Amino acid sequence: MTRLIHAEMLKLITIRLTYGLLATAAALTALFAALEGSRAGSAGSGVAPISTASGLSTVTTVTGFAMLFAAVLGAIVTSGEFRHGSATLTYQAAPRRGQVLVAKVIISAGAGLLFGLVAGVIATGVGLAFASGDGGHLALGATTLIRHIAGAMCGAAALGALGAGLGSLLRSQLGTVIGIFVWAIVIESLIGGLFTSIRPYLPYTAATTLAGVKLGNAAFGPAHGEAVAAAPLPFIATLALLAALAAAVSVLAARTTVERDIA
Amino acid sequence: MSHPGLRGLTKSRSAAVASDTSTASVAPVESQRIPRQEDAGSLHGGTPISPRGVFRLSTSRPSVIGVPVIETHDLTKAFGEVSAVDHVSFTVDRGTVVGFLGPNGAGKTTTLRMLLGLITPTEGRATINGRLYRELGSPLHVVGAVLEASGAYPGRTARNHLRIQATVGEVPRSRVDEVLDLVELTEAADRRVGQFSLGMRQRLGLATALLCEPEILILDEPANGLDPEGVHWLRELLRQLATEGRTVLVSSHILAEVAQTVDSVVILDRGRLISHSTLDDLTAGAQLAVRVRTPNPEELVTTLAAHDATTELIGPDQLRITGATSEQIGTLAAEHAIPIFEATTEAPDLEDIFLQLTATEQGHGKR
Repeated sequence: MTRLIHAEMLKLITIRLTYGLLATAAALTALFAALEGSRAGSAGSGVAPISTASGLSTVTTVTGFAMLFAAVLGAIVTSGEFRHGSATLTYQAAPRRGQVLVAKVIISAGAGLLFGLVAGVIATGVGLAFASGDGGHLALGATTLIRHIAGAMCGAAALGALGAGLGSLLRSQLGTVIGIFVWAIVIESLIGGLFTSIRPYLPYTAATTLAGVKLGNAAFGPAHGEAVAAAPLPFIATLALLAALAAAVSVLAARTTVERDIA
Repeated sequence: MSHPGLRGLTKSRSAAVASDTSTASVAPVESQRIPRQEDAGSLHGGTPISPRGVFRLSTSRPSVIGVPVIETHDLTKAFGEVSAVDHVSFTVDRGTVVGFLGPNGAGKTTTLRMLLGLITPTEGRATINGRLYRELGSPLHVVGAVLEASGAYPGRTARNHLRIQATVGEVPRSRVDEVLDLVELTEAADRRVGQFSLGMRQRLGLATALLCEPEILILDEPANGLDPEGVHWLRELLRQLATEGRTVLVSSHILAEVAQTVDSVVILDRGRLISHSTLDDLTAGAQLAVRVRTPNPEELVTTLAAHDATTELIGPDQLRITGATSEQIGTLAAEHAIPIFEATTEAPDLEDIFLQLTATEQGHGKR
């Protein structure tokens, strides 16, 4: 298993796509954190002043893009093998396909940790810069900020693993990537808006709450800025929910599509 | 489980030969290899073939025939109602080079993919060293396969592609440079595979297959995309691999591509096995024709007709005769005082034999 994980890591670090997705996630995080920071305290913006805990955390928790891109990378890690025909070689080298899937899920989660870390550090840096420019008062302590970064890492890791499972289940790279965006941006917002009580259980929303995002105040989409009565699940429960979902999708894939013919 | 003739470059295979010949009696007659010219040459040689010394000839082609390493038994695959492979059974003995032939859509690739555990058979069994592919402990050290041109991610460099395979196969990175050198891709090693020509991707596929020094090679249409120089290079490589005692199963839809290299051929057509024999056996069944030049062709035709030979007038003084040897024709002509100026036995045309065996109805589906 160690050599499979090592090989999957090499696969990931030897293509430009990985760095492209990471750079894009970092750039979007910086851009939207800066936008939120510039709107903080403005009349009608819906964002509290940067000198408040609410205002600062609005900026420092803009890490949803990294989570989405981690899910996309996870999907590409698995479905890309079928798109480019490299699954033939992969399964020749490691004919026990379930082990290959486990290695891919692990490495996708690992990549998610990195995506979450980068986005968390950038968002926190932008938030601190705005706070510094607004008199230097920090409404959030270091512990809270670090917990938000750690939450972003956990959320991105979980969605990375989930993306890998989905890519393996669907095998279609384009379909899986489009599906991830549509689910996170459109479907979750619609379902979450209609049925607020299930909002804490929706995977993308749940992942963002790990990073400190208020429920109903997702980074973007119809639910952005919306106040809801439902409270997020506890951190551990949310993490367990996401991990269970990723495991369930992977097991489903392992029992169905993974063993299909590579013709 | 690395192949003794490769890693050590100069290691003797005598131990392997001794252990393998003890079970030679199990070999089916039709799959025993016939000696080739280069075998005789290698008995006196031991000279490295590769100028770079990556592969070297052992002092003789090991005679480890008789031990089947690849076996299919009633192998069948149906895709819906289409039968791609239909109860195909054959064996490939250790140390032999076998051509796996058939027209496009004959079921060759499907068969090879079933051997490699990539496709699940509908019926039957395909084994390597008596085991299903997925049961092999270190498959890359047992079987190297090229099923499609490289199978590498187009955005990755050739070197990185091989590094990944080397990691899975647990071979040292220095081996990557060796195989790049072997397939003459060293200069292109740091280019992305997507920039490679089809021929370069085929070479990379071969490098990948050879990376872990497997004892068995399964190559699916390796000459596809190669220019004439590349085909010549491939032929030399196959000869070299054969000389090192490796078992090679190489598929092609063109007999001439492999005829100079293989010990025997397995021929598929429309999913069914239609022949498994040596090239000699294949040609032995063919009727030889004799071209004769004579000033009295009509008289010779009449004489031969009485002896059940078939004649065809192909020129004013030339006949093409089948059903009689040149000796028989000469004797009959002498008995009847018919002058013969020239008699030539035509060499059997392998392509004609192959086409006759695989004569297919037009428009059958690709498999």
